[in-house]
Amino acid sequence: MTAPLDPDDYDAFCTFLRGRTGLSFTEAKRYFVDRRLAERMTAVGAESFRDYMNLLRFQASGEELQRLVNLMTVNETYFFREKYQLDCLVNSALDEVVRGRKPGDRVRIWSAGCATGEEPYSIAIMLLEHWGKVDEYEIELYASDIDSHVLKRARDGVYEERALHMLPRGLVAKYFTEIEPGRWRIMDELRESIDFSLVNIVDPAQVARFRDIDVIFCRNLLIYFDDLGRREAASMFYEALAPCGFVCLGHSESMSRMSSLFVPRRFPDAILYQKPQR
Amino acid sequence: MALVKAKKGTLPPVVEAEAASLEDADPAQRRRAAHEAAGRAEAVAPLAGRLAREDDASVREAILTALVRTGSAEAAGALIPFLASEDVGLRNGAIESLQQMPAAVVMPEVAPLLTDGDSDVRIFAAQLVGHLPHPDRLPLLTGVVERDPHVNVCLAAVEALVEIGHPNALPSLERLVARFPDDPFVGFSVESARHRFTEDPERDLGA
Repeated sequence: MTAPLDPDDYDAFCTFLRGRTGLSFTEAKRYFVDRRLAERMTAVGAESFRDYMNLLRFQASGEELQRLVNLMTVNETYFFREKYQLDCLVNSALDEVVRGRKPGDRVRIWSAGCATGEEPYSIAIMLLEHWGKVDEYEIELYASDIDSHVLKRARDGVYEERALHMLPRGLVAKYFTEIEPGRWRIMDELRESIDFSLVNIVDPAQVARFRDIDVIFCRNLLIYFDDLGRREAASMFYEALAPCGFVCLGHSESMSRMSSLFVPRRFPDAILYQKPQR
Repeated sequence: MALVKAKKGTLPPVVEAEAASLEDADPAQRRRAAHEAAGRAEAVAPLAGRLAREDDASVREAILTALVRTGSAEAAGALIPFLASEDVGLRNGAIESLQQMPAAVVMPEVAPLLTDGDSDVRIFAAQLVGHLPHPDRLPLLTGVVERDPHVNVCLAAVEALVEIGHPNALPSLERLVARFPDDPFVGFSVESARHRFTEDPERDLGA
């Protein structure tokens, strides 16, 4: 592990980052910053802090700065995060998925890297509230994570007020019960409608059970992976998807950097990545 | 409610068939064989052999990914011949895959290509070396800039050096202008690099 920065280098780095990105870190965040800097310096083979700063300053593509910023901006998730992608699901993608299917057919959606459950529950709420054909099909929601602790929290479905801040109050009242001041539990029908499971998405054996999936949400997860991990994850998604199925990535992620097998599809609300027919 | 309990759903059963074959007629089986071969040293030669004949993009991708996962000198060496392929997709796939393998195993395989007789191969090698986080990449690329007789190879090295962003490359770039004084693109590229490398660091520090 690379040694922590000396105080002058730390100040210089924080000033540089603030100037370029607006992100601001104080001495109190020292450990957080040091760890992420060390991780990226090792990843690019920088032999010194000076070498790494040269890369950040002069790299024409700015790719390394973006990677570092992604690492520095990990946030807790919340309901309806990046809602435009959920809008895309109910306004465009699902209508395309069910084209040619009969009422009663299955529609399968997988939230890969579901963390504490906000994403799959958000998908469920969006379907129930905003997809007009929701009653015509049997919809199966799968959610997975590699972390058993967050999965337990996802199954429990209990959230603090801040996780709900993007939800209209009417939806909070409709789908949640306040179990104590500031803590809300999602309704049992929703908790029981989602299949939560422990899955490493780059392990073919663990992903093998996911087949004929129509839409995969994998947002803000692959930023934690190296290039090979992202590539393997893309391969697993390719195997798991039904022909013409979609992958939805986080707003700062691009499939073109991971795999050439998917076709980007620009919908009015968002860009998704589609597995070809064959 | 239209959401059904997924555990009672109808995901297709996982069929545990016998080991898949890279020569199977079904691309899905060939992909499965490639996934299973990832990380296995003895599978490098069969994977590379199939890659040379494979025309399904999804199987190619699975084979390349498996070789990257194996990550050995043999796996890197098996990809080197594809740098001379006329198939652009295959060649780019090989280059991208080599970039994702450990630099320590790739560099010894790629560095000799910087003096290959084919200038196109030297260009691909320069681009590749530029992406390898390895202590030799700066001297190797400046060596190309100083000595390669083909201007396009030199420009590929310049581009890689600019991407690396190390001002120590500047003297070699200055000498390149002297080697190709009549080539306006060399002048333009080096001027861009000079400007980039001599930016006022205080400005970048937000001062």
